[in-house]
Amino acid sequence: MDKILQDNLRKEVKALFEQKKVDLVIGYETGPTKFTTTPVLIKNSEEADRLVINDFITSNLAKMLVKIKGKAGIVAKGCDSRSIVSLIQDHKVKRENIVIIGVPCSGIIDVGKISRLIGKEPDEIDDITREKDAVLVTSGSEKKSLPLKEVLYEHCLACDLSTPAECDVLIGEPASPPLDKVASLAKINEMEKMTAEQRWQYWKEQMQRCTRCYACRNVCPVCYCERCFVEESEPQWINIAPNWQDNLIFQVIRSIHVAGRCTDCGNCERACPVGIPLRSLVRKMYDIVDEMFHYKAGTNKDDLPLMASYETREAEELIR
Amino acid sequence: MVKKIKQADIGKLLERWAKDYRIFVPSRDGEITRFDRWDGKDTGFLSIYRNTVVPAKSVFFPVKEEMFSYKKDSTGYQLKVPGPSMSKKLLFGIRPCDASALAMLDVAFKEGYEDPYYLEKRRDTVLVGMTCLRPYDSCFCTSLGGGPGESKNVDIMMTQVGDEYILEGITQKGEELLAGVEYFTDASEADISRLRSVKEGALKQITRKVNVKDITQRIYDVIENKEFWETSAIKCVSCGVCTFFCPTCYCFDISDEKEKGTGIRKRAWDSCQFPVYTKMPAENPREEKWRRVRQKVAHKYAYFPTLYGGTISCTGCGRCIRLCPVSWDITAVINSVPEKVTTESK
Amino acid sequence: MEQNSEWKPQILGFLCKWCSYAGADLAGTSRKKYPANMRIMKIPCSGRIAPLFILKALRMGFDGVLVSGCHPGDCHYQTGNYRARRRIALTKKFLEYIGIEPQRVQASWVSASEANKFAQVSEEVTKEVKEVGPNRLFSDNGQNITG
Repeated sequence: MDKILQDNLRKEVKALFEQKKVDLVIGYETGPTKFTTTPVLIKNSEEADRLVINDFITSNLAKMLVKIKGKAGIVAKGCDSRSIVSLIQDHKVKRENIVIIGVPCSGIIDVGKISRLIGKEPDEIDDITREKDAVLVTSGSEKKSLPLKEVLYEHCLACDLSTPAECDVLIGEPASPPLDKVASLAKINEMEKMTAEQRWQYWKEQMQRCTRCYACRNVCPVCYCERCFVEESEPQWINIAPNWQDNLIFQVIRSIHVAGRCTDCGNCERACPVGIPLRSLVRKMYDIVDEMFHYKAGTNKDDLPLMASYETREAEELIR
Repeated sequence: MVKKIKQADIGKLLERWAKDYRIFVPSRDGEITRFDRWDGKDTGFLSIYRNTVVPAKSVFFPVKEEMFSYKKDSTGYQLKVPGPSMSKKLLFGIRPCDASALAMLDVAFKEGYEDPYYLEKRRDTVLVGMTCLRPYDSCFCTSLGGGPGESKNVDIMMTQVGDEYILEGITQKGEELLAGVEYFTDASEADISRLRSVKEGALKQITRKVNVKDITQRIYDVIENKEFWETSAIKCVSCGVCTFFCPTCYCFDISDEKEKGTGIRKRAWDSCQFPVYTKMPAENPREEKWRRVRQKVAHKYAYFPTLYGGTISCTGCGRCIRLCPVSWDITAVINSVPEKVTTESK
Repeated sequence: MEQNSEWKPQILGFLCKWCSYAGADLAGTSRKKYPANMRIMKIPCSGRIAPLFILKALRMGFDGVLVSGCHPGDCHYQTGNYRARRRIALTKKFLEYIGIEPQRVQASWVSASEANKFAQVSEEVTKEVKEVGPNRLFSDNGQNITG
């Protein structure tokens, strides 16, 4: 990502405050450790210089729009802007109450991937610089060039909208990550080659590690229920203790609940502290929704949500 | 006493100890690391040169455990309680921060009410600590009375020096374990001098500092300052990652799982960050997110020290910073708590 | 998958009150012959179905789940069955992906007068569920949880 984008952003945000078009702006600032950013809420133009745009702006900030008070400006990459549209469709956010500051995105770097490729933890890396189709990684005296495709987040490789369409201002020229849908869906395609028993066994093993911390659910912008189904006690749908059976039901139902609203922003998988490949669930749902109903989440703010609409004829082959 | 062992002999040392103890070592589980039973042969875990993702507390206070089970038969309900811990444990490679944390859990699970599940697992456990040669940039143990080579809460402290490990006997139990093992050589003066410089080098690598001077009183001074806590809490998503992976957190929830005629009572990790944690029929005293975030910070840096002799229940392991989905940083919050109000500074 | 000759499939049928439940009733009073393996739950409309019900039923140990409602266009509440159709379609596809045999999750449109169809659906669903065998999906050690 350019420094130009960052400068443009800060200029734009200052202008928005000066013109009194916003009460607050939600964006990214430098994070507590190397190669991280963290969400920040700024309330005046003096704080605008805290905002950053770089290769590590991972969080989906749309989450912070739910329950916000006042007119909010929000920094949004392509996937984030679609999540905002999903929220508008669900009437959780009013379009007129927000100013969408669109960030043309050429892909976000997954520092974990770099770490695994060069065998060094993020804090042992000195510098990560993006150069066209490659990334130059420096650690001490070692310099290594890695292909960009190998270090971007998997979901970036299948990006359906890198430059926000629904936005009030775009802070740069349209951009796109290098696309490689095959690589992006590699895990899912592997899964489809397995037998049903193998797949079930795979998920059973993955779910043994789930601690039900709910990081996945809580970072998701479209999981905004005041009371999630897991918190119901009358009736109690799944047990509170993290047994693999209950964990699996939680993840499966969550994937179904976000169908048609999930934009494959990858935040759930990134948030998981124990490394469960959650994208292999939600992205599959994303593709099922696309195949069956030719619907992509967050495309048009005036559309009805997927599950609130229907065609007179569809999916009949599945019903007796 | 201070002993030395070659890395290649660690396997044999563990085999020796395995005769009397169940050995737990850092292990890989997919992309994460945790403490698991040693498989009896592989010492590849020695390459895990940093703290595990899942803290050592999980050995004594697992993410879920059975409290008792019942079964209905012709004579009535039969209750089954887990039996006593069969053998002694040895935790090999625990980091100083996790060991300090265990000392705090020992207090929490004993004062007021003795938790049989934790205490039963915890008794007769030997802790063999491991010095952190390359702490994370998110580690801040030195600000909280700890350090990468701190040995005060372990029985034996190990430090890697080159391709050897130096073992310091700290407690009497530790000394007993070090005595008479043929793979050891006595550490020489030169060894001890190298050990000192390795530990000093590790100490210098801790760059993150947190200002805990008078922190308990400072927190009480801002405890009602809603704006302070709201600003600190704004990006938090109220998941349970920081608390679950915190080595000093110990909240749990009890639930029953019933089948026809049988049932199990389990306990599982719970988090004060969950919105429903304090929810009751009439009200929820921590409905707003800033109250929950305030609770987390205040518990660790004010309430626990007030209750338990000034001990801050944070060991600076940095997991909350590394694992938080939005990179919330407790050190930034603590450092932003205003300095203590004194009559001079008014 | 073991086939215990004593095992009888247990199927949970969610039948909408206005059409399918009435159809099932008619099948009964008309003395149609069909398998007795289905436990019936009357729901006001097939649109009442949440994917959670289907998974909960499988978790509890039911070998198969059937959701049956009015034909599209004939829903007593106008659009309930359309909603159900989308939910069921997503659920079926997704559960198949994670490794649950698709025969365990079934759906049908049965109207109040279609006693024969209900009997036929009952027959076919039971047969398919019998073929995939007892539901051991969620059991840890071969035992089912029914709580």
